[in-house]
Amino acid sequence: MNVAVTPWQYGNVPGPKTALTLKGDVAGRLIKAAKKPLIIVGAEALKVKLDENRTLLDYAIELSKLSGAPVVATANTLKAFLERGYKPAAAMGSIEITERLRDRGWSIDGSGAHDLVIYIGITYQLQSQLLSSLKNFALHLRTMSLDRYYHPNATWSFPNLSFDKWVDNLNMIIEVLRGGVGGR
Amino acid sequence: MGEKGPMKFLVKSIKTAGVSLEDVEIAVGRLAIEEEWEPMGPTPMPKIETLRSWDMKLLKRYRPFYMPICDLCCLCTYGKCDLTGGKRGSCGLTIDAQQARIVMVACAIGAATHASHARELVELLIERYGEDWPIDMGGEIHVEMPNTRLVVGIKPKTLGDLAFALNYVEEQIVQTLAASHTGQESDYLDFESKALHLGMLDHVAMEIADVAQVITFGFPKGDPDAPLAEIGLGCVDVTKPLILCIGHNVTNSIDIIDFIEKSGLGAPGEMIEVAGLCCTAHDIVRYNKAAKVVGPISYQLKFVRSGAADVIVTDEQCIHTSILHEAQKVKAPVISVSNKALRGLEEVSDKPVDEIVDMLVTGKVPGVAILDLEKAAAVAVLTALRIAPIRKKFKVVPDKEELAKVASKCVKCGSCRRNCPIDLPIDEAVSAAKNGDLSKLAEIHDLCLGCARCESACPRGIPILSLITGAADYKIKTSKFKMRVGRGPILDTEIREVGSPIVLGEIPGVIAFVGCANYPAGGREVAIMAEELLKRRYIVVASGCAAMSIAEYRTEEGTTLYEEYSGAFEAGGLVNVGSCVANAHISGACIKIANIFARRRLRANYEEIADYVLNRVGACGIAWGAMSQKAASIATGFNRLGVPVIVGPQGAKYRRLYLGRKEDIESFTVYDARTGDKVWVGPAPEHLIYAAENKEEAMVMAAKLCLRPNDTTKGRMIKLTHYVELYKKFYGTLPPDLHLFIRTEADIPITHKFEILEYLKKVDWKPWERPVVDPTLLERLIRVKK
Repeated sequence: MNVAVTPWQYGNVPGPKTALTLKGDVAGRLIKAAKKPLIIVGAEALKVKLDENRTLLDYAIELSKLSGAPVVATANTLKAFLERGYKPAAAMGSIEITERLRDRGWSIDGSGAHDLVIYIGITYQLQSQLLSSLKNFALHLRTMSLDRYYHPNATWSFPNLSFDKWVDNLNMIIEVLRGGVGGR
Repeated sequence: MGEKGPMKFLVKSIKTAGVSLEDVEIAVGRLAIEEEWEPMGPTPMPKIETLRSWDMKLLKRYRPFYMPICDLCCLCTYGKCDLTGGKRGSCGLTIDAQQARIVMVACAIGAATHASHARELVELLIERYGEDWPIDMGGEIHVEMPNTRLVVGIKPKTLGDLAFALNYVEEQIVQTLAASHTGQESDYLDFESKALHLGMLDHVAMEIADVAQVITFGFPKGDPDAPLAEIGLGCVDVTKPLILCIGHNVTNSIDIIDFIEKSGLGAPGEMIEVAGLCCTAHDIVRYNKAAKVVGPISYQLKFVRSGAADVIVTDEQCIHTSILHEAQKVKAPVISVSNKALRGLEEVSDKPVDEIVDMLVTGKVPGVAILDLEKAAAVAVLTALRIAPIRKKFKVVPDKEELAKVASKCVKCGSCRRNCPIDLPIDEAVSAAKNGDLSKLAEIHDLCLGCARCESACPRGIPILSLITGAADYKIKTSKFKMRVGRGPILDTEIREVGSPIVLGEIPGVIAFVGCANYPAGGREVAIMAEELLKRRYIVVASGCAAMSIAEYRTEEGTTLYEEYSGAFEAGGLVNVGSCVANAHISGACIKIANIFARRRLRANYEEIADYVLNRVGACGIAWGAMSQKAASIATGFNRLGVPVIVGPQGAKYRRLYLGRKEDIESFTVYDARTGDKVWVGPAPEHLIYAAENKEEAMVMAAKLCLRPNDTTKGRMIKLTHYVELYKKFYGTLPPDLHLFIRTEADIPITHKFEILEYLKKVDWKPWERPVVDPTLLERLIRVKK
């Protein structure tokens, strides 16, 4: 149990099994090491601007391209993906994709199970519940939240970060995937 | 059976001086209702196990999806038990069963709350009007209580009959709740079946509560032209004494209005204002539209702190439990009229009115409990008149000039935000206010749930909710809107008019906005969704807090949706049925479509009617701000009847959804009742209860969840037109599952025909061999068995 970090929402204390915190470089290496990662992108990614030129959704596209992980576009993110010329592997509700991921062996392309599921841009309370479902009913899966705040129900999560530090950590992942600092 | 009927004695012989009788049966107690208005169906007064097979059919297709909010079980002294990683608790329970158990308990709380509400109403109304008071719902409503007829198997004629039906409901709630005790039920599906049972009972309880008040208090009886009432934080005249009634049981509020009128003080609003908050408000204006509706549950503390209310009367349900503390801050006395919420107050029902008024006006006590409702009404009015000039609308909301000073205590620790149920950036807003920028606090006002968790968590003791309210003062003062008062049930004549287009699919769907105000991004979203669907000619129904939120929005023309759209149950109609308990009229309308339009037998025929609704009635609920246990049981009751529900993202915290999988062919296979063949009909409706991430997803999903296997080609084309248009509008392309709903080319929306044909070619779509079936999940309804 990681006792050093409190959940972003103070009351969101799930039980004895809580997420390990990580930094961007470790997250990058984990993503790189995953055999079949999957990225799930929610509607908050449309609103969050990382800098003048990038939204969180743009970041997700870059992450997907560098890691080779397919994207599931949830809610109305599909439109923004398509407008950017990026075709997600699937468009479905965050609930619908998470429900299917509980099945051992299920994958978005039907060929072998995912081993790492990455959530980005899903509103905190809902994401917490989605991660809880996988923590309790998909023991074969590891999950990672790349959002700014600590998600105790994930396997790995960032701690609660200032905006700038969060962006730094996100960028660190990209660097690792590009084979830069901390990469393998 | 809930009602055991009268106690019967068989007397072999009686001989007195003048009488000699033999083999006489004597009955003592209330006789069961035995009139043969329709042959008794297969499931009168169903027990826990009676409809289990129906539940299992639903649960096979719509599998429970659990999202634990807590990985532990803390319900007995064996615990806390850690249920993670497949571990069982000391009692043997697994995490999935524990989730189902908690949902079941929530449904039991919800159903018990409505049943208790109904019991109080019925007993009081029998006392006032007599048990033979007729159930007269007017000339255009003959199927007066569809839920009660369907479940209990009686056609209630009097108030006394309602008490009889309630006996059954109460007994079943007790029986079902007992299953949650340690060492009872163990299987998650059986817990779910019990939750569905409780949900069904809840709809009967709600129907009893609402019909009882409609027939006795003169509420509208399904009137599509029910009057418009004023709603909004700014709708009351703060220069007058004001009584604020909060809760759900309107009886005392009605007594207050009657007392005002009898005392020569005119109608509400003339000499003294009567305003309601939450569902009591709905029912006050159903009684007298001169009363005011302050707004949904989320306005409680904001309004109390504004100091406008001189007396606060609380009845039951959804009242902020700090209300006494809050009222004390503004020197307003509280009168509790419900023994379910006595708030630690002295019970003074036996004291004379004048003495109680003195106690309250002099501040000897902060409030009292009065369980004699007529006396409570007199005390409320007389206290308001005397205390108003003393209080002078004392408020604790800072003036604009003071706001920056109060906010300056903020050290931006973020505790407020991290305790906000919807993660509002309160810290940034308070920080901006320190520098004189109130705009961020004013923005938060529109999204804020009003729970005050933020200030309870503030280490500097900043009254954050008061800051938010103060910063939005300019909005609040002009916050005046119009809401059509709750009209109650849907008329039988309306059902005859729209039954066919709904069942055939020509009206794209009935979408009901129900539930509380735990909105992810403000009540405005509910109104925006309603407007989009009204423009598309859906029948939009509303109740409870959602009905109020719909009112607090102006269209481009500057009017409210209630002013712009008809109140009739018709395409493009906006139907406010009323308070929470009026939700039973929404399920009732679905039932009446099966009964009145399709002539399916109603009496104790639950499975067949639910099967009809699931396969034919394109209805869907949206509980965008669902918060309470009542909302859980209402939604679950809709689900058992075959009506899907969408909740907002916070609804995921109910822990459980019922999800279908469109790719699972077998689960969407039905019987064709004409031939007995098993036929795949596509994933319609795809889910039974679903949590959407945002309003865009909710709208698209609602359009999809109105699809039914029975749609005609014209109906399917109309429904798909809206699904495709909404999907394209918000998602930018054609739906990726469109081919699963197109049975023949005739189903294809004309406006997108070429694009869709091209898409169908890509996915190798073939016309269905059996596009039109008579769909049923019930083998016994097959007419020709092979």
